Amino acid sequence: MKAECTMPVRSYLAILLLAACCAIELGCGAMQTPVTGVTNPVQFQPQAFNRPENCLPCHQRQFNELRQAVKAGYRNASPLFNGLESAGNLINGGLLRPVYSDSTIVLPDGTPLNTNMFSSPILTETRQVQAGFCVTCHNADIMMMGENPLTREVPALPGVGSMFDPTTFRPLRDYHMVDASGNQILPATIGGYPPAGAQPSLGAAGITCDFCHDQDGPNLNRSFQHDGFANTSIYLNQSKEKVGPFLNPVGVKGNFHVASNDTNKIAFLRAGAFCNSCHDVRLPNNNLTSHEVNINPGGSNVHVFRLENLSTEWQIGAYNSTNNPFGKVVRCQDCHMSMFPYAGTTSYQVGDLSITSPTPAVFPTDYAAVPGVSTDQNYPLQKRPVVTHFFTGVDVPLLPATELQARLGSTYPDPNANSIDTHGLPVALAVRRDDLLQAATRVSLAKSDPSVVAGQSFQVKVEAVSLTGHRFPAGFSQERTAYIQLSVTDANGFLLYQSGYVVDKPHPNTGETAPDGNLNDEDIEHVHAAVDPGKYAAGAYTPGTSTNGGNNIVFELGPDDGPEQRVFAGIPEGLVLFRNELTHIFLPCPTTVTNPPCTTDLVGRTDAQGNQIHAQTAHFEETFNAALANSVDNFRSLQPLNPRTFTYVIQLPTTAELQALGVTLKGPLQVHAQVNFEHFPPLFLRYLAQTTGPNGPTGNGLGLVDEQLIDAQLKNIQSVSSADTTVNLLP
Amino acid sequence: MLSWLLMGVAVAQTGGVFTPGEFQTTNPYYLLPNPFYFEGRIDWNLLGINQPTNAWEYMERGIHYQDDLDDTQSAIADYETALTFNSLQNNTCQIVTAATLVNGALPATLTPAPCIFTLRLRLGYLEQQSNPTQAISLFQEVLKIDPLKLGVNTLIAETYVVEAQQTTDPTAQQQAYTNAIQAYQAELALSPVTSVTIAFTGDQANNAHVHWALAQIYQTLGQVSSAISELQLYVQATQWHSDVYPWRIQLANNLIKTLQSQNHSGS
Repeated sequence: MKAECTMPVRSYLAILLLAACCAIELGCGAMQTPVTGVTNPVQFQPQAFNRPENCLPCHQRQFNELRQAVKAGYRNASPLFNGLESAGNLINGGLLRPVYSDSTIVLPDGTPLNTNMFSSPILTETRQVQAGFCVTCHNADIMMMGENPLTREVPALPGVGSMFDPTTFRPLRDYHMVDASGNQILPATIGGYPPAGAQPSLGAAGITCDFCHDQDGPNLNRSFQHDGFANTSIYLNQSKEKVGPFLNPVGVKGNFHVASNDTNKIAFLRAGAFCNSCHDVRLPNNNLTSHEVNINPGGSNVHVFRLENLSTEWQIGAYNSTNNPFGKVVRCQDCHMSMFPYAGTTSYQVGDLSITSPTPAVFPTDYAAVPGVSTDQNYPLQKRPVVTHFFTGVDVPLLPATELQARLGSTYPDPNANSIDTHGLPVALAVRRDDLLQAATRVSLAKSDPSVVAGQSFQVKVEAVSLTGHRFPAGFSQERTAYIQLSVTDANGFLLYQSGYVVDKPHPNTGETAPDGNLNDEDIEHVHAAVDPGKYAAGAYTPGTSTNGGNNIVFELGPDDGPEQRVFAGIPEGLVLFRNELTHIFLPCPTTVTNPPCTTDLVGRTDAQGNQIHAQTAHFEETFNAALANSVDNFRSLQPLNPRTFTYVIQLPTTAELQALGVTLKGPLQVHAQVNFEHFPPLFLRYLAQTTGPNGPTGNGLGLVDEQLIDAQLKNIQSVSSADTTVNLLP
Repeated sequence: MLSWLLMGVAVAQTGGVFTPGEFQTTNPYYLLPNPFYFEGRIDWNLLGINQPTNAWEYMERGIHYQDDLDDTQSAIADYETALTFNSLQNNTCQIVTAATLVNGALPATLTPAPCIFTLRLRLGYLEQQSNPTQAISLFQEVLKIDPLKLGVNTLIAETYVVEAQQTTDPTAQQQAYTNAIQAYQAELALSPVTSVTIAFTGDQANNAHVHWALAQIYQTLGQVSSAISELQLYVQATQWHSDVYPWRIQLANNLIKTLQSQNHSGS
């Protein structure tokens, strides 16, 4: 049932004018783009969701580009995505797995739970949002098809909560394989390698052609603010009508599909708003520092907090206006579906920073479909501006090419094997990701002190600006790790100060008993943390309770403790970290005994005597497990086009200290600042390795993350922007 | 063109319209307490506040003055105003304890509101040199709000050291150093090195900066054995973590040797 909303006549006219505008110009000019949640008055013949291979003969270029995108293929085989989804289920007893209309689960109040995050008309129960929470955004078509037991890829779990059995729990990717006849096959062992002859299922393809081109607009009722934002609040079709970006397209050969002429659907596809339904993610946890609930009728019991806030950031940011350096709306498509960052540069001023950065919204000219095979009666096609389908972001697969191809097909591209396409664009995702990151920020040291007296302190000031359409980092910004690496040396190279550094060290919790010479698997030094994989806090894993892991079993401040010092105490020292932060607020327990026993005060660690630490008051602590977060700080990331200056007060060694060291400083001092980026912090991967490993709650391991994978695949992208200056050393 | 326009009418009449700018009922950046205030910094330009009216708004403007405009005096003024709205002394804030719970649960609203620790930490830091007594008092309030919060005892200790360095009274100086040592030890107690932490990290010591600071105090007080012990712990704690001032590690090793020789010659 779709929303029947009304709107003033004025709005109709706005849409008409805009639709006409968009039909003429790809970029939609300098206007914000209204979109509609409409029903299609024309009924098209049904058509099951297509494998992307079905679209390949006529849309070869788009197919090839899309295969590089992590959302289309890799994500469903990803050890990270599967590990995160599994860890969430192990924490809460399987509540994140889908339920369907034939579910027999009954909620504590007696209400049946037989709709999930995608199938619930309005999300009135937290458990509805949890049911299929992760898989819905990453595989909404599969969730929709799951209502039919015959086309269901991801089964409901036989027991959840206290009935959850971790020993039979499989990662999602186990379900995304079929045999040559198209029948689902599973690895012989849980989490095992694909069996011989396994081919990728429809679900293995993830977000693919039909998701975007067979949709019916935003589903306002299923979005928490009735706005089409977050949690896959979009209508999907299974019809022959495919929505493209052009009006009056040429007829499709053999009537394989009908190219839509629906102006609203076309406008929606072309709008930045199209991305809103998946690139905001709201978790159904009560945020204790920000009251936000589902505003739809009956939804007020569903409390949410903003995990991914990217679409909101863009929607109310400078790039969704003409008040930006380009003087026009810059949509998601203009950077992630264009020739960006390979189509020239633009120079402009942001505050006192002179910036030169890649120009967005430059599109290649090409055919929208393959001439000679795609049109009815071989009607001739014309070249025109087209979008690319690389969807380059900050992620690259954390799997070797051999395993990618074993899970996703022998032709799946190696993300590191580069070539140049017919538009002159690099093809390899790893290359494109690195180049995209180079465009994201700029830093300057121009405001630093010009000189310092020996033995005294001085100030280094790093001015940093994000040039992205959203904050930087964005998306899963509480794990995406961008930070400033700063060093101060004297003219002889003597290292006086460092921040944002890493140290090669052992990781006994995941089997690395000695330093391995690899710095890509090392965490920055602001905090030392390790997360309970599920057996420590209570001595044993107990399904469905709140004491089955996820809390910090180690939590110490490190020597580069900038985030804590800068954010809460305003102290100008230590690491500048742009990663947002998830917080768990531990609450005291009642003084009277409760049933079940209250555990909200269990921090997850012991004191020096081995006693459990209890929070006697509200205790705020960073958590690396979104399932346990009840507060989030999404403001540590850099706001686009708003430069921020970060000060480091740096103390030089005294004369006595230099004498004790046998060092004579030589000026001028050299200051170097650079922004580095990790798509996931190593400690987060090690948490997943332990939780989903053989010593975790499953007892058998899910075959997802281990130290070898971390060592081989994780890369710290160095110096996506940098600056240097010198400081005179005065006697 | 006309047919497109007509088609647009036909379709637009069937559904609802979402217009950017009207997409959320409230400013998503103005966070509504539930019951805690947001602790930390929100970009001031996003909040849409013309004139602060409550503790949190004054605090956020103070952060803007401090972090964005380098205007410490205005920041202090705003933090002090915020404190009058969120004070334990005048009962305009409360500490959330078991007694706060109603039927075992935390109410969505609390009167008075929960006490804000960010406010106290920031004001305390800015007053560390000019009014260390007030700074220590503010930091101690933070420990009442959240006794498990890391780094607060260190701030208290650092401020006692400031007091010790500022006073000319030997007795007061000795007491200040003693208080600083106790505060540093309280910091260490919050993240003890245990068999579990060693198993996870391999670290035989942690909190390098606390050990460095303790060593300096002990050196100042002439307690050589304690200074050596703390320097050794500092070196251990930096083994896999280095330091923002990496030269201190070599300096610590040199000092250990020097102090050990002094200790031997002294005994």
